[in-house]
Amino acid sequence: MIEKALKGGRGYWAWVAFLLVVIGIGVTAYARQMTIGLGVTGMGRDISWGVYIAQFTFLVGVAASAVMLVLPYYLHNQKAFSKIVIVGEFLAVSAALMCMLFILADMGRPDRVLNVLLYPSPHSMVFWDVMVLNGYLFLNLISGWAVLGAERKGVAPAPWVKALIYLSIPWAFSIHTVTAFLFAGLPGRHLWLTAVLAPRFLASAFAAGTAILILITFILKKVAKFDAGPEARLKLSVLASYAGLANLFFLGTEFFTAFYSNIPAHMHSLQYLFFGLEGHAPLVPWMWFSLITGIISVGVLLSPPLRRKNGALIAACIGLVVSIWIDKGMGLVFGGFVPTPLEAIVDYMPTATEISVTLGIWAIGLLVLTMLLKTAIAVKTQE
Amino acid sequence: MNKFSKFLVALAAGLAVFVAAWFFMQAGHYGSVSAHAENSPVAAAAPAPGGAPIDSSKCILPTEYMRAHHMQVLNKWRHDSVREGNRTYVNPQGEHFDKSLNTCLGCHGSNPMFCFMCHEFANVKPTCWDCHLSPMEVPQ
Amino acid sequence: MSQNRREFLKKAGLGALAGLGAAAGLFPAFALEQTDMSNFTDKPVPGKVRWGMLIDTRKCLGNCTECIVRCHHDHNVPDFGKSKNEVKWIWKSGYENAFPTASTQFQNPEVLERQVLTLCNHCAEPPCTKACPTEATFKRWDGIVSIDYHRCIGCRFCMAACPYGSRSFNWLDPRPNIKELSTAYPTRMRGVVEKCNFCSERLVKNELPACVESCPEKALIFGDLNKPDSEIRKLLAANETMQRKPELGTLPSVFYII
Ligand code: SF4
Ligand code: SF4
Repeated sequence: MIEKALKGGRGYWAWVAFLLVVIGIGVTAYARQMTIGLGVTGMGRDISWGVYIAQFTFLVGVAASAVMLVLPYYLHNQKAFSKIVIVGEFLAVSAALMCMLFILADMGRPDRVLNVLLYPSPHSMVFWDVMVLNGYLFLNLISGWAVLGAERKGVAPAPWVKALIYLSIPWAFSIHTVTAFLFAGLPGRHLWLTAVLAPRFLASAFAAGTAILILITFILKKVAKFDAGPEARLKLSVLASYAGLANLFFLGTEFFTAFYSNIPAHMHSLQYLFFGLEGHAPLVPWMWFSLITGIISVGVLLSPPLRRKNGALIAACIGLVVSIWIDKGMGLVFGGFVPTPLEAIVDYMPTATEISVTLGIWAIGLLVLTMLLKTAIAVKTQE
Repeated sequence: MNKFSKFLVALAAGLAVFVAAWFFMQAGHYGSVSAHAENSPVAAAAPAPGGAPIDSSKCILPTEYMRAHHMQVLNKWRHDSVREGNRTYVNPQGEHFDKSLNTCLGCHGSNPMFCFMCHEFANVKPTCWDCHLSPMEVPQ
Repeated sequence: MSQNRREFLKKAGLGALAGLGAAAGLFPAFALEQTDMSNFTDKPVPGKVRWGMLIDTRKCLGNCTECIVRCHHDHNVPDFGKSKNEVKWIWKSGYENAFPTASTQFQNPEVLERQVLTLCNHCAEPPCTKACPTEATFKRWDGIVSIDYHRCIGCRFCMAACPYGSRSFNWLDPRPNIKELSTAYPTRMRGVVEKCNFCSERLVKNELPACVESCPEKALIFGDLNKPDSEIRKLLAANETMQRKPELGTLPSVFYII
């Protein structure tokens, strides 16, 4: 089937070529990081994780959000999603792949990555994360591909495929819960040390991931003449709006607990992110932009007449994704390190090398997604 | 099941086999050393550690064995002394040695090229000297 | 040099190297230090000993950096200055930085201005070892929290988990930034995490940690916290002492007299 990804028009190949160029730049930057060391990034002794881990966190959420299609379709028989379940599954595959690449890019000694398997340490959340992420990738790839193959032949998928699909539903929740536990179990990092982190991760994931799915359906309609249908989009936009609302609610509870209790350590990180701390306020405009965009987008999605208009829907989805990307893909990770355990306030600024590697990994993910979706659509439209 | 999904299943199975093989190899590495060095009846019959003088005039095990297995011996020693605090090695002759790279270098360090010549010849690049000071770096 | 090896070296065309090697044989014994075997025991009983340190901040005053210099030299700690790539095992922090949750209102200003020595606390309940996915960092039989530099994958989870900022990462190759190589301890490689090891390489030789030995004011006391009649335990019983961030339940093994 994959050969179908090798047939395409001008626009398709131009897009692939563009991605390949970005990948090339990323690989070059990574080669530099490999020869000199992670010192070429903006990370340091105090802010010891940066964009890589932040992207990883964001993308685990995108991967998990495939469940927003799989669950209604397979458990609640929502026929509206029949055309695009596969899109969700393949989005999950490419997002999970990017997650793993980001972890690899962040490692000081990627040559020893197998140590995680050689010395399995169940007390470490990273160990579990590696397990569930790999499992999730394969679950979605295998079940998605098998369903598609069956569809091509016009037969029902084998029974084992159903089993894998059902398994992937709780699995989706598990990947993002474990990712939240990576952060939420660390003493002394007060922004992360909160029981609401895992629910908030799930809420923001389902909001941003679903919004991305809606955007993908629009793109597919435009470039591949493959329309998921307005009903599917509408249902997705309802899901996104409630998830987005839950996310805002959880953020509000964080603010309440920190500022009402008035415990300095609990307030510091939020102060740093939203108001600035001791004159350091590099993220303040970003965070406010994220917050306001998030509120407006959720508002638009919540309003039935507005979300029926394609223009408003697209804008709201873009707003929601950007808002959550800033909040989760930057603020949460960088802000968690400030103030440092020794009460210092250190700012972090990613370097060009770091950004190139990041874009390169995104391009790899997009390339994989493009090829998978190309195949899926070719099968679905009987090309 | 179509061809590609079969291929994917095969890929997953292959990966699993690879990981299993890797585990096995690791176990084998430790196993081969202890078979010779610790579980042999000679070692068991040797006097208990402690007290005996350290003899560093000869190698811990026959040259032939060391030539083939020094990396596993070093790996096992490192594991024992760093992670378990078990620092004494008793060879089949009952001689006691400190489980440390310095025990080896006590003799072999006098020839700064000792490690490098052979590694050069065999075209292997162990990472020992990324951290440990090699005989070439220490003023003689 | 054995006949065999001569043969293969010739075959390999490394005759010149062999000559060099033979010449090097003329030099006196190797300069790496030998370990004193008399202190060896077999495999130790885990948990019997718990090494700990008591820092008397009343004696450790002024700009003295004897212990820091000595430790960083002995352990080949690279010097990247105060940059983001900084690596440090022991250093001085302001009182409020070291004890951010201690009472500071109306506190004696002299105390507030003290510079306090900070290092890894070798916690009895270390969050860093729990976070490590490879057990590269682990609690030893004697309470020392150690790092296996051969195993560390450089994921830096331990750095995020340590609530004391005790850990440093080798963002760049450390070797070029070591001013004077010491033979007492190996260096590290790029991409692994490091921190204070309570001088485990000296303890095995029955020597006190380098910082303790080097302190001109005798402000550092080292000993076994599990031995009720050890000097450190007597001093802990006789003085008002503090641990850093005790509320986190990490049970630090480093104590401070204020
Ligand atoms: S001080 Fe930090 S590095 Fe040291 S043992 Fe405690 S948690 Fe681990
Ligand atoms: S950086 Fe090394 S020591 Fe720290 S958690 Fe990762 S593998 Fe363990």
